[in-house]
Amino acid sequence: MSGPDPRPPSPGAGIRLAPVTADILELAAFRNRSADLERLAAARGVALPACGHLTRRPARLTLSVRPGRWLLLTAPATEGASAWEGAIPGCGAAVELSAALAATVLSGPAVREMLIRSCRLDLAAEAFPEAHAAATIMVQVPVILAALEGAMLLLTPATMARHVHEWLVTTSRPFGLSLAPQASLADFSGDNSA
Amino acid sequence: MTGPSRITQGLLTDPAKPVRFSFDGRSLEGLAGDTLASALLANGRRIVGRSFKYHRPRGVVTADKGEPCALVDVIGESGREPNRLATAVQLSEGLRAVSQNRWPTLELDLLAVNDWLGRFLPAGFYYKTFMAPGWAWERLYEPLIRRAAGLGRLESRAQGHAPPAEIVHDHADVLVVGAGSAGLTAALLLGSAGLRVLVAEQDVVLGGGTLLDTRWAPWRADACARLASLPSVRCLPATTVLGAYGHGTFGALETLAAHERARFHGMRERLRVIRVARVLLACGAPERLIAFAGNDVPGVMLAGAAHAYLRRYGVALGQRPVFFLNNDEAYGSAMALAQAGIRASAIIDARPQALAATRAREAGLEVLSGALMTEVLGRRSVRGVRVRLPDGSSRTLAADSVAVSGGHSPATALACQLGAPLTWVEAITAFTAEAPAAAGRTAGAARGVFGAAAAARDAELAARALAAELGRPAPEPAAWLPWPPDPAASPVSAVWEVPGSGKAFVDLQNDVTTADVRLACREGYEHVEHMKRYTTCGMATDQGRSGGLVASAVLAAARGVPLREVGQSRPRPFAEPVAFAALAGGEVGGHYKPRRRLALHDWHEQAGATFVSTGLWLRPLVYAAQSGWEPVLAEARAVRRAVGITDVSTLGKIDVQGPDAARFLDFVYANTFSTLAVGRARYGIMLREDGMLFDDGTTSRLAPGHFLITTTTANSAAVLEHLEFHLQAVRPELDVVLTDVCDQWAQFAVAGPRAREVVASLVGDLELSNEAFPFMAVAAANIGGVAGRVFRISFSGELAYELAVPARAALPVWQAILEAGKPHGIRPYGLDALNTLRIEKGHVTTAELNGNTSATDLGFERMLKKSGDFIGRTLGARPGIVSPERLQLVGVRPVDRAQRLRNGTQLVTPAARSASLGYVTSSTPSTELEGWVGLALLAGGRQRIGSRLLGVSPLHDETTELEIVSPHMLDPENLRVRA
Repeated sequence: MSGPDPRPPSPGAGIRLAPVTADILELAAFRNRSADLERLAAARGVALPACGHLTRRPARLTLSVRPGRWLLLTAPATEGASAWEGAIPGCGAAVELSAALAATVLSGPAVREMLIRSCRLDLAAEAFPEAHAAATIMVQVPVILAALEGAMLLLTPATMARHVHEWLVTTSRPFGLSLAPQASLADFSGDNSA
Repeated sequence: MTGPSRITQGLLTDPAKPVRFSFDGRSLEGLAGDTLASALLANGRRIVGRSFKYHRPRGVVTADKGEPCALVDVIGESGREPNRLATAVQLSEGLRAVSQNRWPTLELDLLAVNDWLGRFLPAGFYYKTFMAPGWAWERLYEPLIRRAAGLGRLESRAQGHAPPAEIVHDHADVLVVGAGSAGLTAALLLGSAGLRVLVAEQDVVLGGGTLLDTRWAPWRADACARLASLPSVRCLPATTVLGAYGHGTFGALETLAAHERARFHGMRERLRVIRVARVLLACGAPERLIAFAGNDVPGVMLAGAAHAYLRRYGVALGQRPVFFLNNDEAYGSAMALAQAGIRASAIIDARPQALAATRAREAGLEVLSGALMTEVLGRRSVRGVRVRLPDGSSRTLAADSVAVSGGHSPATALACQLGAPLTWVEAITAFTAEAPAAAGRTAGAARGVFGAAAAARDAELAARALAAELGRPAPEPAAWLPWPPDPAASPVSAVWEVPGSGKAFVDLQNDVTTADVRLACREGYEHVEHMKRYTTCGMATDQGRSGGLVASAVLAAARGVPLREVGQSRPRPFAEPVAFAALAGGEVGGHYKPRRRLALHDWHEQAGATFVSTGLWLRPLVYAAQSGWEPVLAEARAVRRAVGITDVSTLGKIDVQGPDAARFLDFVYANTFSTLAVGRARYGIMLREDGMLFDDGTTSRLAPGHFLITTTTANSAAVLEHLEFHLQAVRPELDVVLTDVCDQWAQFAVAGPRAREVVASLVGDLELSNEAFPFMAVAAANIGGVAGRVFRISFSGELAYELAVPARAALPVWQAILEAGKPHGIRPYGLDALNTLRIEKGHVTTAELNGNTSATDLGFERMLKKSGDFIGRTLGARPGIVSPERLQLVGVRPVDRAQRLRNGTQLVTPAARSASLGYVTSSTPSTELEGWVGLALLAGGRQRIGSRLLGVSPLHDETTELEIVSPHMLDPENLRVRA
């Protein structure tokens, strides 16, 4: 909003917003090298999911919203691009995006109902279940959405994160909004390999 | 009871909850559940508006969103909004409504003189009357017409108020449009099959036509309860489907109920974008009028509307109504009123006989069969009617109101928007349109199946077909209540127009008469679409819902062809008026468009920066609150004479990696990059396919197969898209991956003669001497403890280094640079100072890279590689593109150094001052040279260097003698950047 939001918050937290600090790395496979990249990543203990999906391991989320591309989210200072560059020679590129993307976790019963105020994706639980991920546009900003267990992970370009956050706050208010200072990746990563 | 015309308890109103409101400043009382229209009628208000052209007094005609006459201004917290349908405005405490299109008052409207002048104001009179004299159109006619045109008055909402609307995206398997017997039946079946169903009903309650028939009340209650128990079904009352947009996408407008409005802080509407696999159109069949003299007098109402006001709100349209009809369904209204104690003076049935007429006579009502109503008596209200009996004689009946029904026309708009053709159905004297099977089905009255039970049966078949198509066969309904049987009915007979003296309207909203339609036909506008545009029939908020087919029938008669050959005009979205606020949704105020903020935005703000919007970015323009050149020049002089620092993080940055990265860059750039050594940067230019300049910037080689492109701020996204397109579609054989890293890196230019000392103190082991780190060198470095990159590149024309660090570390590194530069007098500089510096140096930006310039125009022709293909090579070599006569980049300086330059100043010769040879693209006072300097695009510019021209700025009434110089006005030998 251009000025202070005149609307009072609604009682009851239907939505909880929490920024997440994570290191983010993009792996991009060179032509016809996706399988090799997946094999090398597996050797490092990283399962690369199919496009449109997400895998959770303790303190790590890996998701793909574009063929041959993966985003690896880890706790800060776990590993950098340089560690991967040497591990995937000739198979692909490892690009550091930790500062390029801002991560927010949205939880609470009204999250999906709030997000459809801008998101064109079908966010019904049966259409976008846990461990699904997609790239889309929200509030005119390119974003990535991933369904976690009882929550949604939202990745936005860092320079537009404040714009998206302001919209989330304004739009969440009627549903009951709770703002958390910070969330840890470990709170949401868990393990969905079973 | 509130008001003299409220005679009984309504289905929707609560007599225990009176509601105060005002109309035209007069305080009135209605009931909770009323619409503004029902409350006005209950209070005996007959005149609620004035007609568009003739300013005739008008009353309420319908009870739904097809209302043509009862349009009002509503004044609320959010401002004053015109053209609200009184039939759709829910009454609320303190509501203020004002009539529109009258002066000075609704009762005494002096502009009603138009009605007496009507014979001089036929359809198309604008085109005939205002042809001459030619000069008068802009000076006289148009201002007058503009002043007279339009209805109501819009006033902006109060600042700080919550957005009045939002946009929501919905998905479902099936969208059911309409919740009458057909829609409810279909939704029940589809929901029982486990399909995700959305039911959109424009009424505030579900039930449609069944609301008017008390026999259906138990079934309706049961159906609604069952729907509520189905988890996959969502019912959206007060939601009108506005349009069908193909590929299963529909737009709908929801008016929020009071509790939702409170929850959403006063929000009024919700625009829904609905995406579904199939649609079931059960949107009914609106009633239509009959054209006869005086069919617009206040008190004339559609028979179905009269029925609705009685059942829903307990309001009678009058004490002595006359009915004029041609179908059995409309008798229900007369019978219901009779049961409530309002006996019709007579029912005039155009048909010689009908089953319903027999039933009415048995109930003691007088029916004049085979008769026609020829005229309504009265101007401000109905005083009586004149009837022509079957034997040709006339009879005058006393009456205070008229209920009219010319039959029912299936709602075909959505089906037509889905591509369905109109089909004439003689049995119902109307067109129908069946939704294409791939899109869905049409059911019930919308496909001409009249009668609530018959419609429900029809919808059941349609729903079963849809469920089977979607792989979820519908189960047999479990113990549904039976549908009350439809009464036996006689067929409708076509009655479109009753000839008589006086205006007979086919479009009440636009004041279009039967005479206007015939005139259009005589003047050659024979096609229904041409007639519509010539007369305006069927335009505006009601889209001709009650009279569109009547107009087609009059046109058919005038042309002497069957009505089926004439058809109806094509219905387009929107189906009802939509406020711009609903289309904007929540993207207003601060959410209007995204803002990109630098990682150091808060620092710049605290440092007193004035920001400028460049694209989506907010960039520091100058670190001063006051306007003027002094602070800008102070910042720029610091760069020229000591050292400055600026935030250039907005530049686009694209990471390019892969075995074919160098080949790809050779293709997308007009100059060569495969020869670039690792650890070096090169300035490059990109052309569009048409050969014109697209973008420029430096590209660095970080490893043999790894490059970093920088683009201009403005073209950052466009360049990435351009590269992705060419990689995926034009050169798919190249093995390259592109990643946008613009937001990853914060980048700062440290520029000025003392830049080396400042940077050297931060980069530790990196040797910065000219020999070790020459101009255009690149290296990874530890910058103030942060892993980053150092580029020796310069846009300012000074010795400069650009330091890039991950954006998260931007603040500590920026502060470390400022600290290190303190002894050298470092100061931050903004975009204005950067602009000053680059103009002096002759560097181009988007002012010169404006999409109309070529490489040759800007002096880059030597950069074009001689061999190998690249984007824009062929078309960029066209003679017209490389002609030396084109506008070319030059520098300009006022001969009188005390005179200023302005962007946009036209360059002319003294002999031909009106023939522009070019214009000034950028200008600034100089830091080092005397007076102003500028860049210009000048025809044959390079050949004119050394000559003088005049710079003319007619807007400022200024003429300046200019010296044409090389664009490289400062340090043309590049001694500073290589220092």
